Order: sequence, then C-alpha cells, then structure tokens
Amino acid sequence: MNSICKSYRNIGFETQVLKNITLHINEGDYVSIIGPSGAGKSTLMAIAGCLAQPSSGEYILDGEEVGKLSDRKLSRVRNEKIGFVFQAFHLLPGVTALDNVILPLVYSRNPPANIKDRAREVLAKVGLEHRLHHTPGQLSGGEQQRVTIARSLINNPPIILADEPTGNLDSKNGIETMKTFDKLVDEGKTIILITHDSEVAGHASRIISIRDGEIDSDTKRASSSVTEAEKL
Amino acid sequence: MRIFKNLRQAFRGLKLNRGNTLLMTIGVMIGIASLTVIVAIGDGIKYKVLNRIANLGFGPESFSVIAGGGKMFFSRSKNTTSMSLQDAEDLLALPTVRMVVPRQRKRMQIINKKEFTNTRVYGVTPDWQAARRWKVVDGVFLSDADLDRRKKVVVLGATPVRKLFRGSDPIGKMVRLQNNYYEVIGLLQEKGLTESGYDPDDRALIPLTTSISRLTHQTHLHSIKVVTLHASQVPETMKAVTQILRRNHNLSILSEDDFRFITPEGIMQWVTESEQALNRMLILISTVSLLVGGIVIMNILLVSIRERVREIGIRRCFGARRSDITLQFLFESVLVSLLGGVLGVGLGLLLSFGLKRFDILPTLITWEPFVLSFFFCMLIGLVFGIHPARKAAFMNPEEAIRS
Repeated sequence: MNSICKSYRNIGFETQVLKNITLHINEGDYVSIIGPSGAGKSTLMAIAGCLAQPSSGEYILDGEEVGKLSDRKLSRVRNEKIGFVFQAFHLLPGVTALDNVILPLVYSRNPPANIKDRAREVLAKVGLEHRLHHTPGQLSGGEQQRVTIARSLINNPPIILADEPTGNLDSKNGIETMKTFDKLVDEGKTIILITHDSEVAGHASRIISIRDGEIDSDTKRASSSVTEAEKL
Repeated sequence: MRIFKNLRQAFRGLKLNRGNTLLMTIGVMIGIASLTVIVAIGDGIKYKVLNRIANLGFGPESFSVIAGGGKMFFSRSKNTTSMSLQDAEDLLALPTVRMVVPRQRKRMQIINKKEFTNTRVYGVTPDWQAARRWKVVDGVFLSDADLDRRKKVVVLGATPVRKLFRGSDPIGKMVRLQNNYYEVIGLLQEKGLTESGYDPDDRALIPLTTSISRLTHQTHLHSIKVVTLHASQVPETMKAVTQILRRNHNLSILSEDDFRFITPEGIMQWVTESEQALNRMLILISTVSLLVGGIVIMNILLVSIRERVREIGIRRCFGARRSDITLQFLFESVLVSLLGGVLGVGLGLLLSFGLKRFDILPTLITWEPFVLSFFFCMLIGLVFGIHPARKAAFMNPEEAIRS
C-alpha cells in the first residue's frame, strides 16, 4: 500500500454531512480524527471503511477507486484490507470468543489452512488465550474490546479503523487498548482512530480535527515518534 | 466452500435464536402434520371403499339389481317390496343371462344352545356359490332339493361357526333362527377380515324358499344378482332388465325406477369420482395449511431480522457480501422448514396411528406424505425465505452497525 488518497465533494444524505473533504493518509500513519458529535466523524469513518460510498468525489484506497466498486468487491475490500474496532464492541452475542474472532475468515477468499490456530494466535496476542470459549456475556468490557481487536487483526488487514475504542471502557482498560494500538503501529499497520477524547487522540502522530463536515485542522506531531525513539 | 460456511452460520443463527426457531418449526410442523393426517385419512377411506367393493364379489360379467330406487349404495328405501321371484325368473329367460341369484337378507340372532351371536342371514339359491365362486370347506352347499323342499338347513360362514361352536365340529348340529331349528350342512371357506374391518365371513345361508316361508314371511327379494354370458353383454342386459322390471312392477313412464344397479363399471366410475373429489379437497386443505406454515416462517423471519440488524451489520463489516447474508437467511428458512417437516410427519404419523387404533377414522400410511413434505418444505423455505433474506442483505451496513 503506497498511499490512500481521499477527496470528497458534497457528501451527505439530505443535508451535507461532509463538505469537500480532501485527505491523504499514508501507509503506517497513526491518525486520529477528532471533533464534536455531529461533525461528520462517523460518516467519514463509514466511507473510509467502505461501509458507505461518497455521494460525490472519489476515494482511492491502495490505488483502487473504491467509490465505484460493486457490493461484491467492496465486501472483499472490507474483508481483506480493513479491520474494524467499535465502541460498542459489536461481537456476536452467544458466540464464543474464538468463533467471534474467526468471523472475518468465514467470508475470506483464501483463509489459512488452520483457522482455529490462527484465531488462537491472535487471541493470545491480545492476552486472551485463557478466554477462548467464553461468550461476550461472560467477558468483561476490557476483554470484549480485546476480542474485537483480535477479530480485526485475524485477516491481517493493513488498516485498522477504530471508532471510539475507549468510549465504553474504564480508564485502565482504555490505556491498555491504546497501548495495543501503539504496538500495532510499530508493526506497520495504518491506524485511523476516531474519538472525541483529546487524550486518546494524543497517542496518534497526526490529529485531524473535523467541525461541521469540514477539516478544521490537520497537525502532525513529532512527539509520538520521540516517545518511540525513547522506547527504543 | 462459501455455501457450507453460510450453512454453518445458518445453523448457528438458528441455535442462538431458539425462540424464533421454535415458533417457525411449530408453524411448519402443524401444517405438515395436518397434511400427513389428511393424506392418511384420504388413503384409508379410499382403501376401505375399494375393499368393500372387492368383497361384493363381482366379476366383470355380472351385476346386481337391488330393490329400491337411488344410486349405488345409497338407497332411497321406498318401494322395496316390489321385487319378486317372478322377476328373477323373467330375467333368467333373457338370452344373454347365464345365471340369476335371487336373495333375501335379514340380520338376526343365531343360537346354539347357550351360545348366540348376531349375523347376516341370507336366503339364496344354489347358484349363489357358483356366482360368488366361494368354496365350501366342510360338508356340502345348499342343493336344489333343499330349495324345493324348503328344508331347514344352513351353511355357515367362519365367524358364526367360531362364536357358536368354539372348536367342536358343527356339521350335523342344530342351530336356532327365530323359532326354527336348522341343520348345519356346510361351512364356507374363511376369507378373513378386510383391512377396513368388514367381515365377509359373518354370514349364514339358508334356502331362499325356507327364508320366504319360515323366516321373513315375505315374498319380495332384497336383490337379484345377474351373471351374463360375457362381460360385453352387461350394458344390453341391463337395458333389458330395466324394461322387464318396469313392466313387471307396473311403473308408468313418469315414475322412476324402483330398483337400482350395482355394476363393476358403475363402481369403478363411482370410485373414480369420489376419489377425484377427495383428492381435490386434500389438495385444497394441504395448500392452505402449507401456506399458513410459510407465512408463519416469513413473518417470524422478518421479526428475527429486525432483532438481528446489528449481527447483519457486523457480518457485512467483516466482509460478508449481500449474497452471503441472503444465503445464510435462506438456509435458516429452509432448515427450519425441513425440521418442521420432519417433526410434522412424525406427529402426523402418530395421529394417524391413533385415529386407526381407536377406530375414529380409517387411515392408511403410504410413502407419499414423506416425499411430498420434503419437497414442499424445501419450497416453503425458499419461497417464504427469499423476501426476508433479501431484506436482510440489502440493509445499509452503516446504519445496521449503528442501530
């Protein structure tokens, strides 16, 4: 993946939710998008995640014009290139953590030979190897969020889209989650984080602020890479 | 394989939404159960009717003339005293007639010392045996001498023999009908109960003349069986019989026949007609019950989809195509209706057995409901599942995930 280039024009349903947003996100970027509720964050996220298509303008992901793809191809893009992490977790109720994590592989074109091993592997990565057969109802909020992260990783997508990942978590679990994201960036993932919490946004190397459907500010911070350097 | 993966997801969906699955299953189950029972009853009735007809002992070259107007087995029971022995003699004079068997019938008690039973007593001529082709296993059949001398002799069917003699030899013994004693001179071969419960062996035969003078004290006949020389002569013979009987009974041109025919051909036609009417009714009832089952599935699936909007959204987020969602819900619908079908056939069989066991209705179990149910369940699942499945698939994933 070389570059993601997004440009929107007159996006909206009846009202314009996003107005002429032009955005360029590079591979390996750690971007957070902040803004008050109703600013269009979620719509931007839906378009970035190929869940909705822009009413005008173009969205080029990995050199592919996504805005014009059929549902079939769009589904494949979601499956292979994007991992979703949601505020409300969105795990299938009554289904074990293992099976929840496997979900993206169900719809994958070329799943690994041993699906269960792969699922155990990613669950171990988020520290849940002891909770494989628990259903979401039997897991704490922090554990559920880790299952969703494991699920977003199982297909090894280059992009992780996180919508308010800490919104339903206490501060301790929130910090844990953010540390996980920091680790993923080190592994070369592109992370797009949507939040209204400036402290959470502070983890990112680039903060895009949105207001009333337009980009308010776009600041790149060196501090993040400094801390990386310090860690190293 | 994509299909199998979606099939597995459908299984899981059904397992997780037990309440809805149960309701849908019950909906189909009731439809299929009623279909199974209805088919079993229909087949049972058909079988019973065919059996009774077979027991009338018709060859293709014979027919019966029954006293009293009306149609086939349904007598209007008026003018039933008009058929006489003279009629029988006149019919025998027809060139195409080989044999006539005039007959009287009365149901009454037959007594051997302290044992007694109710049976059908027929007054017949010796030709009866040849016309019915019924063998005598012990002793002899009624003879012309018996008929001429109005002898008090009787030939018994297997059922009264069993009830009256309990294993001892009945030949030569005396049994009582009303106030007269009759000597048992012969035993009819046992034919056994028919499936429908009709007992052809439950009969006693005495000479017609004896019956007229000592038993019924009436001269009119219950029926005359006519055997023609050849099956092709049946229609013309019937025409001639009608003429003779109308003339003998002094019927004016305006009055209806005071007798009716039972012919092999008439029976076949009657059976075919009633079978067709029955089948039409079966098809109608089955269609309604299956339609109800299908609508139940569709409605519950629609409700289920509303409850599972988020699940659909999640699946779409992680790469499920529209066709995947469609397949999953279609599979759920088909699986549920197949399950309902299997349970319904089971329940239906149980009910059919029960109806037969407790003599409420005759039922006959055939392989047809199984094949029909399987086929119809697939069809119901597909037809009534496609709308909800498409609805689920075309949900906006962005809105679905946020609901």
